[in-house]
Amino acid sequence: MVELLLDPNIRLWVFLPIVIITFLVGIVRHYVSIILSSQKKIELLQVQDSQVMIRARLLRENGKYLPRQSFAMRRHWFNNEETGYFKTQKRTATSQNPMTDPGMMTDMLKGNVTNVLPMIVIGGWINWMFSGFLTTKVPFPLTIRFKPMLQRGVELTYLDASWVSSASWYFLNVFGLRTIYALVLGENNAADQSKIMQEQMSGAAMAMPPDPKAAFKAEWEALEITEHKWALATAESDLLNSSEE
Amino acid sequence: MSSLKAKDKSEPVAYSEAALRNNAVVVEYCRTSMAALSGSTAGVLGLTGIYGFAFYVFAVVILWVMFMLKSGSNWSKYYVSRQSLLTNGFFGALFTYVLFWTFIYGMVHVY
Repeated sequence: MVELLLDPNIRLWVFLPIVIITFLVGIVRHYVSIILSSQKKIELLQVQDSQVMIRARLLRENGKYLPRQSFAMRRHWFNNEETGYFKTQKRTATSQNPMTDPGMMTDMLKGNVTNVLPMIVIGGWINWMFSGFLTTKVPFPLTIRFKPMLQRGVELTYLDASWVSSASWYFLNVFGLRTIYALVLGENNAADQSKIMQEQMSGAAMAMPPDPKAAFKAEWEALEITEHKWALATAESDLLNSSEE
Repeated sequence: MSSLKAKDKSEPVAYSEAALRNNAVVVEYCRTSMAALSGSTAGVLGLTGIYGFAFYVFAVVILWVMFMLKSGSNWSKYYVSRQSLLTNGFFGALFTYVLFWTFIYGMVHVY
């Protein structure tokens, strides 16, 4: 089946090191970003806003367990035209330019130092150090269109598409090890490079803080159209029925 | 109180958001471990082509059966839907599986 003989030294000195390097770099990135991450200053107003939003959502979802009057009372506290929380609290839309805020600038710089720099340095180093090897063969047949993806750095026309070059093996590891990081480091770790790539592609829209004004408006609307339907209306008859049986 | 409502036996179900999320995290943990282990197994066995993918489907189903055995007859206490437990994260774990499969297969069989 093996129509191409590879030197076993490639396995020991190219194939295995790439996996280990990729994995360990991810671990190191995780801890470096923990060291560099600055404690985000939490504003009292933001906490208050988010808690109010949670309370409103809970009321919407579980309000059916409250008597009608209690539900109306709580909704009144949120939604009344004159005194309701969502109506009286005026929040200015926070859409400041990140360039003018020095704290944000350092955050962005730190993000670049921990995310982009290692990617360029390690990727470039792997490309330079381990270039030009065929490392392995995927154990399933692939069509010819996978060749540029799997055989970066080895341009041979007649090579079967299921052979993988060293540079491509590195990229496969970068993308494939993300679930392993979640296993080893727990959820929300910073080791995942592919997530950062996605964020960079989707642009700066993600970095914008959520606008409390719009959120308030949406929650106000949702609460306004919520219809109260008491879930315990038939509790007595249910109890009697069950005791009869 | 309407008598019609009293006949309706379907009780309202309340879900705890935090517990649901925790369950999802645990299930994801199991799924990743399963993908890594079964991928390594497939690599050591030297499965190729369609047999390897069939082995993955087999492993997913086995994991699902193990979930069901673990949760027993009152599975609805822990999961909203049995079906989504089987299908969720199928392709995400497949990537991990293929990586491990390729890795171990390369280590054992290619050279």
